[in-house]
Amino acid sequence: MTDEPASIEVDQYLPHPPGKVWRALTDPARLATWLMPSDFAPVVGHRFTFRTEPRPGFDGIVHCRVLDLEPERLLRWSWCNGALDSTVTWTLAAEGHGTRLFLRHDGFDPGDPWQQQAMRIMGGGWRSHIMRALEAELNAG
Amino acid sequence: MPEVDVFTAIANPARREVLRLLRDGGPHPVAQLAERFDMSRPSLSEHLRLLKDAGLVTERRAGRQRLYSLEAGPLHELAGWLAPYEQFWREKMSDLATFLDADDD
Repeated sequence: MTDEPASIEVDQYLPHPPGKVWRALTDPARLATWLMPSDFAPVVGHRFTFRTEPRPGFDGIVHCRVLDLEPERLLRWSWCNGALDSTVTWTLAAEGHGTRLFLRHDGFDPGDPWQQQAMRIMGGGWRSHIMRALEAELNAG
Repeated sequence: MPEVDVFTAIANPARREVLRLLRDGGPHPVAQLAERFDMSRPSLSEHLRLLKDAGLVTERRAGRQRLYSLEAGPLHELAGWLAPYEQFWREKMSDLATFLDADDD
């Protein structure tokens, strides 16, 4: 087994132009509709907070800062909750008549082994290779 | 409650390899595990002890041998904590797709 990059990656094709996708990502009212309410502003360095209903293991508050922004191309913000100090990067790529939106959630404190391992697992290395096999085995048993 | 949490237990590549061997090959005597590692027997025993403390392996005597077996239960604790995060983003992506379909200019 090898150690995998510490990230979650998800992508989706959206049948809408990059400009419209960008608007959904950067207009706070729109962002609140599909993600979470926040005081986001599309300005590098701006600090903002997502707030949602707490649930077990999550207090419902995510502290963020805009780290990078290239209109209709890239948006990166920090994502801090509890011990988790991470980075969320949205990348937009025109594809056909729409947009492919990539999400990458990564970054962690290398001094925190628990978090490092947790993120490594979140990146899918452990879970994809071991957990699925284990789960299948357990489900069959 | 186990004395060692699952995250600590699987943070080490050698311990993950032990779990993989037990998963793929079923219960192993310690001597057979030792053949698979380039480490001293006391080091391997230390790893096995930690896995046992985390509740990930069990040890039983079979004649003159000690057999180690995988106990996958605690790994559910791990999956329970981690799976929701990836699931969260997949759901949000899907919510965004739905939102965009309705977001007229």
